[in-house]
Amino acid sequence: MIPFAKTETGSYVAGFTDVETEIIADLAAQIAGMLRSLVGSDDPLFEAVGIGGTSLLNDDPAIARLLPDAYGEDAVASGDFRRLTEQSLATRKVANARTVIDTLARSDESLELSGQEAQAWLRTLSDIRLTIAARLGIESDGDEGDTDSDSALALHDLYDWLAYVTESLLDALDD
Amino acid sequence: MNQTLEGTELREQTVLDSPWITLVWNDPVNLMSYVSYVFRSYFGFSRTEADRLMLQVHNDGRAVVATGSREEMERHVEAMHDFGLWATLQKADA
Repeated sequence: MIPFAKTETGSYVAGFTDVETEIIADLAAQIAGMLRSLVGSDDPLFEAVGIGGTSLLNDDPAIARLLPDAYGEDAVASGDFRRLTEQSLATRKVANARTVIDTLARSDESLELSGQEAQAWLRTLSDIRLTIAARLGIESDGDEGDTDSDSALALHDLYDWLAYVTESLLDALDD
Repeated sequence: MNQTLEGTELREQTVLDSPWITLVWNDPVNLMSYVSYVFRSYFGFSRTEADRLMLQVHNDGRAVVATGSREEMERHVEAMHDFGLWATLQKADA
Protein backbone atom coordinates (compact mmCIF):
# COMPACT_ATOMS: atom_id res chain seq x y z
CA MET A 1 0.00 0.00 0.00
CA ILE A 2 1.10 3.55 -0.76
CA PRO A 3 -0.16 5.61 2.21
CA PHE A 4 -2.90 8.19 1.84
CA ALA A 5 -1.84 11.75 1.03
CA LYS A 6 -3.88 14.92 0.68
CA THR A 7 -3.77 16.51 -2.78
CA GLU A 8 -3.74 20.21 -3.62
CA THR A 9 -7.41 20.00 -4.58
CA GLY A 10 -8.36 18.54 -1.20
CA SER A 11 -8.84 14.95 -2.26
CA TYR A 12 -7.08 11.95 -0.69
CA VAL A 13 -4.93 9.61 -2.75
CA ALA A 14 -3.53 6.19 -1.90
CA GLY A 15 -2.26 3.16 -3.78
CA PHE A 16 -3.40 -0.42 -3.20
CA THR A 17 -2.22 -3.58 -4.94
CA ASP A 18 -4.80 -5.71 -6.74
CA VAL A 19 -4.81 -8.18 -3.87
CA GLU A 20 -5.27 -5.43 -1.27
CA THR A 21 -8.07 -3.90 -3.34
CA GLU A 22 -9.80 -7.26 -3.57
CA ILE A 23 -9.47 -7.86 0.19
CA ILE A 24 -10.90 -4.48 1.22
CA ALA A 25 -13.76 -4.69 -1.30
CA ASP A 26 -14.58 -8.19 -0.11
CA LEU A 27 -14.61 -7.16 3.56
CA ALA A 28 -16.79 -4.14 2.81
CA ALA A 29 -19.18 -6.42 0.92
CA GLN A 30 -19.32 -8.71 3.95
CA ILE A 31 -20.30 -5.78 6.18
CA ALA A 32 -23.04 -4.81 3.76
CA GLY A 33 -24.22 -8.41 3.53
CA MET A 34 -24.25 -8.83 7.30
CA LEU A 35 -26.49 -5.77 7.74
CA ARG A 36 -28.70 -6.34 4.72
CA SER A 37 -31.42 -8.19 6.60
CA LEU A 38 -31.78 -5.18 8.91
CA VAL A 39 -32.04 -2.71 6.07
CA GLY A 40 -34.91 -4.35 4.21
CA SER A 41 -38.47 -3.84 5.37
CA ASP A 42 -41.76 -5.30 4.20
CA ASP A 43 -43.63 -2.13 4.88
CA PRO A 44 -42.84 0.57 2.29
CA LEU A 45 -44.18 3.25 4.63
CA PHE A 46 -41.70 2.30 7.32
CA GLU A 47 -38.92 2.17 4.78
CA ALA A 48 -39.74 5.68 3.58
CA VAL A 49 -39.17 7.20 7.01
CA GLY A 50 -36.40 4.85 8.09
CA ILE A 51 -38.33 3.30 10.97
CA GLY A 52 -38.66 -0.40 11.61
CA GLY A 53 -35.58 -1.88 13.24
CA THR A 54 -35.60 -4.71 15.73
CA SER A 55 -36.20 -3.98 19.40
CA LEU A 56 -33.79 -6.44 21.04
CA LEU A 57 -30.04 -6.24 20.94
CA ASN A 58 -28.95 -8.40 18.03
CA ASP A 59 -27.29 -11.49 19.43
CA ASP A 60 -24.66 -11.88 16.74
CA PRO A 61 -21.75 -10.24 18.60
CA ALA A 62 -20.47 -8.45 15.49
CA ILE A 63 -23.86 -6.94 14.62
CA ALA A 64 -24.46 -6.13 18.29
CA ARG A 65 -21.20 -4.17 18.34
CA LEU A 66 -22.03 -2.27 15.13
CA LEU A 67 -25.55 -1.45 16.38
CA PRO A 68 -25.19 -1.19 20.17
CA ASP A 69 -27.80 -0.25 22.77
CA ALA A 70 -28.16 3.52 23.14
CA TYR A 71 -29.25 3.41 26.78
CA GLY A 72 -26.78 1.54 28.96
CA GLU A 73 -29.16 0.61 31.76
CA ASP A 74 -32.62 1.05 30.30
CA ALA A 75 -33.62 -1.87 28.07
CA VAL A 76 -37.06 -0.40 27.30
CA ALA A 77 -35.66 2.97 26.17
CA SER A 78 -32.96 1.15 24.18
CA GLY A 79 -35.60 -0.96 22.46
CA ASP A 80 -37.67 2.11 21.57
CA PHE A 81 -34.63 3.95 20.27
CA ARG A 82 -33.55 0.90 18.28
CA ARG A 83 -36.95 0.64 16.59
CA LEU A 84 -36.68 4.29 15.53
CA THR A 85 -33.03 4.42 14.45
CA GLU A 86 -31.56 0.98 13.79
CA GLN A 87 -32.71 0.66 10.23
CA SER A 88 -31.38 4.06 9.16
CA LEU A 89 -28.10 3.44 11.01
CA ALA A 90 -27.70 0.08 9.26
CA THR A 91 -28.65 1.70 5.94
CA ARG A 92 -25.94 4.35 6.36
CA LYS A 93 -23.37 1.67 7.22
CA VAL A 94 -24.31 -0.31 4.10
CA ALA A 95 -24.08 2.90 2.01
CA ASN A 96 -20.59 3.58 3.44
CA ALA A 97 -19.49 0.04 2.56
CA ARG A 98 -20.89 0.53 -0.93
CA THR A 99 -18.85 3.74 -1.30
CA VAL A 100 -15.70 1.80 -0.40
CA ILE A 101 -16.52 -0.87 -2.99
CA ASP A 102 -17.42 1.68 -5.68
CA THR A 103 -14.36 3.87 -5.15
CA LEU A 104 -12.09 0.82 -5.31
CA ALA A 105 -13.84 -0.37 -8.48
CA ARG A 106 -13.32 2.93 -10.28
CA SER A 107 -9.62 3.25 -9.33
CA ASP A 108 -6.88 1.79 -11.48
CA GLU A 109 -3.37 2.61 -10.30
CA SER A 110 -4.31 4.98 -7.51
CA LEU A 111 -7.39 5.46 -5.38
CA GLU A 112 -8.67 9.03 -5.12
CA LEU A 113 -11.31 9.95 -2.54
CA SER A 114 -13.35 13.10 -2.02
CA GLY A 115 -13.70 14.36 1.54
CA GLN A 116 -17.11 12.73 1.81
CA GLU A 117 -15.85 9.41 0.44
CA ALA A 118 -12.96 9.53 2.92
CA GLN A 119 -15.54 9.79 5.73
CA ALA A 120 -17.33 6.70 4.42
CA TRP A 121 -13.98 4.88 4.29
CA LEU A 122 -13.12 5.81 7.90
CA ARG A 123 -16.45 4.48 9.16
CA THR A 124 -16.32 1.28 7.14
CA LEU A 125 -12.73 0.58 8.20
CA SER A 126 -13.92 0.88 11.80
CA ASP A 127 -16.93 -1.37 11.13
CA ILE A 128 -14.68 -4.00 9.50
CA ARG A 129 -12.19 -3.97 12.38
CA LEU A 130 -15.01 -4.15 14.96
CA THR A 131 -16.42 -7.16 13.11
CA ILE A 132 -13.05 -8.94 12.92
CA ALA A 133 -12.47 -8.23 16.64
CA ALA A 134 -15.87 -9.72 17.49
CA ARG A 135 -15.05 -12.83 15.46
CA LEU A 136 -11.66 -13.17 17.19
CA GLY A 137 -13.12 -12.53 20.65
CA ILE A 138 -11.15 -9.34 21.30
CA GLU A 139 -13.35 -7.78 23.97
CA SER A 140 -11.16 -5.65 26.19
CA ASP A 141 -7.78 -3.92 26.12
CA GLY A 142 -4.95 -6.44 26.04
CA ASP A 143 -7.09 -9.31 24.68
CA GLU A 144 -5.11 -11.41 22.22
CA GLY A 145 -8.23 -13.03 20.84
CA ASP A 146 -8.31 -16.36 19.06
CA THR A 147 -4.84 -17.35 17.76
CA ASP A 148 -5.44 -21.09 17.51
CA SER A 149 -5.71 -21.50 13.76
CA ASP A 150 -4.02 -20.26 10.61
CA SER A 151 -7.24 -18.52 9.61
CA ALA A 152 -7.39 -16.71 12.97
CA LEU A 153 -3.77 -15.61 12.56
CA ALA A 154 -4.54 -14.38 9.06
CA LEU A 155 -7.46 -12.37 10.48
CA HIS A 156 -5.08 -10.87 13.05
CA ASP A 157 -2.73 -9.75 10.28
CA LEU A 158 -5.65 -8.22 8.41
CA TYR A 159 -6.88 -6.49 11.56
CA ASP A 160 -3.45 -4.90 12.14
CA TRP A 161 -3.04 -3.94 8.50
CA LEU A 162 -6.46 -2.23 8.48
CA ALA A 163 -5.32 -0.24 11.54
CA TYR A 164 -2.36 0.92 9.46
CA VAL A 165 -4.68 1.91 6.60
CA THR A 166 -6.86 3.84 9.06
CA GLU A 167 -3.86 5.65 10.58
CA SER A 168 -2.70 6.56 7.12
CA LEU A 169 -6.09 8.05 6.20
CA LEU A 170 -6.27 9.91 9.53
CA ASP A 171 -2.82 11.41 8.92
CA ALA A 172 -3.95 12.65 5.51
CA LEU A 173 -7.21 14.05 6.92
CA ASP A 174 -5.25 15.96 9.57
CA ASP A 175 -2.78 17.27 7.03
CA MET B 1 -36.78 35.98 12.79
CA ASN B 2 -37.01 32.31 12.17
CA GLN B 3 -33.59 31.79 13.66
CA THR B 4 -34.47 33.72 16.80
CA LEU B 5 -37.59 31.63 17.36
CA GLU B 6 -35.71 28.40 16.88
CA GLY B 7 -33.01 29.55 19.25
CA THR B 8 -35.58 30.32 21.94
CA GLU B 9 -37.28 26.94 21.52
CA LEU B 10 -33.97 25.18 21.79
CA ARG B 11 -33.04 26.94 25.01
CA GLU B 12 -36.40 26.20 26.61
CA GLN B 13 -36.20 22.57 25.63
CA THR B 14 -32.69 22.32 27.04
CA VAL B 15 -33.79 23.78 30.35
CA LEU B 16 -36.79 21.44 30.59
CA ASP B 17 -34.99 18.27 29.60
CA SER B 18 -31.55 18.82 31.10
CA PRO B 19 -29.45 17.26 32.13
CA TRP B 20 -28.70 14.21 30.03
CA ILE B 21 -25.20 13.11 29.15
CA THR B 22 -23.52 11.27 26.30
CA LEU B 23 -20.93 8.74 27.42
CA VAL B 24 -18.28 7.21 25.18
CA TRP B 25 -16.94 3.87 26.43
CA ASN B 26 -13.53 2.34 25.96
CA ASP B 27 -13.19 -0.43 23.40
CA PRO B 28 -10.09 -2.42 22.46
CA VAL B 29 -10.57 -1.93 18.73
CA ASN B 30 -10.80 1.72 17.73
CA LEU B 31 -7.47 3.53 17.51
CA MET B 32 -6.73 6.33 19.97
CA SER B 33 -6.00 8.61 17.02
CA TYR B 34 -9.39 7.73 15.52
CA VAL B 35 -11.32 8.44 18.73
CA SER B 36 -9.55 11.80 19.04
CA TYR B 37 -10.32 12.57 15.38
CA VAL B 38 -14.02 11.76 15.91
CA PHE B 39 -14.18 14.06 18.95
CA ARG B 40 -12.55 16.90 16.98
CA SER B 41 -14.45 16.47 13.72
CA TYR B 42 -17.89 15.77 15.17
CA PHE B 43 -17.99 17.82 18.40
CA GLY B 44 -15.57 20.50 17.25
CA PHE B 45 -13.25 20.05 20.24
CA SER B 46 -9.71 21.41 20.07
CA ARG B 47 -6.99 18.80 19.70
CA THR B 48 -6.02 19.28 23.35
CA GLU B 49 -9.58 18.76 24.61
CA ALA B 50 -10.21 15.85 22.23
CA ASP B 51 -7.00 14.13 23.34
CA ARG B 52 -7.88 14.72 27.01
CA LEU B 53 -11.31 13.10 26.57
CA MET B 54 -9.86 10.28 24.46
CA LEU B 55 -7.32 9.50 27.21
CA GLN B 56 -10.08 9.63 29.81
CA VAL B 57 -12.02 7.03 27.80
CA HIS B 58 -8.89 4.94 27.48
CA ASN B 59 -7.77 5.16 31.13
CA ASP B 60 -11.07 5.39 33.03
CA GLY B 61 -13.15 3.27 30.68
CA ARG B 62 -15.51 6.10 29.75
CA ALA B 63 -15.91 9.85 29.45
CA VAL B 64 -18.78 12.32 29.30
CA VAL B 65 -18.46 14.02 25.94
CA ALA B 66 -21.68 16.05 25.89
CA THR B 67 -24.44 17.35 28.18
CA GLY B 68 -27.85 18.64 27.14
CA SER B 69 -31.37 17.61 26.21
CA ARG B 70 -32.32 13.98 25.75
CA GLU B 71 -33.02 14.50 22.02
CA GLU B 72 -29.65 16.14 21.51
CA MET B 73 -27.86 13.30 23.32
CA GLU B 74 -29.74 10.72 21.24
CA ARG B 75 -28.45 12.44 18.09
CA HIS B 76 -24.89 12.37 19.44
CA VAL B 77 -25.13 8.69 20.38
CA GLU B 78 -26.41 7.80 16.94
CA ALA B 79 -23.58 9.79 15.34
CA MET B 80 -21.03 7.97 17.53
CA HIS B 81 -22.54 4.62 16.44
CA ASP B 82 -22.09 5.80 12.84
CA PHE B 83 -18.37 6.13 13.58
CA GLY B 84 -18.29 2.73 15.30
CA LEU B 85 -17.68 4.20 18.74
CA TRP B 86 -19.51 2.66 21.68
CA ALA B 87 -21.68 5.43 23.17
CA THR B 88 -24.72 5.60 25.43
CA LEU B 89 -26.88 8.31 26.96
CA GLN B 90 -28.35 8.60 30.42
CA LYS B 91 -29.59 11.14 32.92
CA ALA B 92 -26.68 13.03 34.42
CA ASP B 93 -27.65 12.04 37.96
CA ALA B 94 -28.24 8.34 37.14
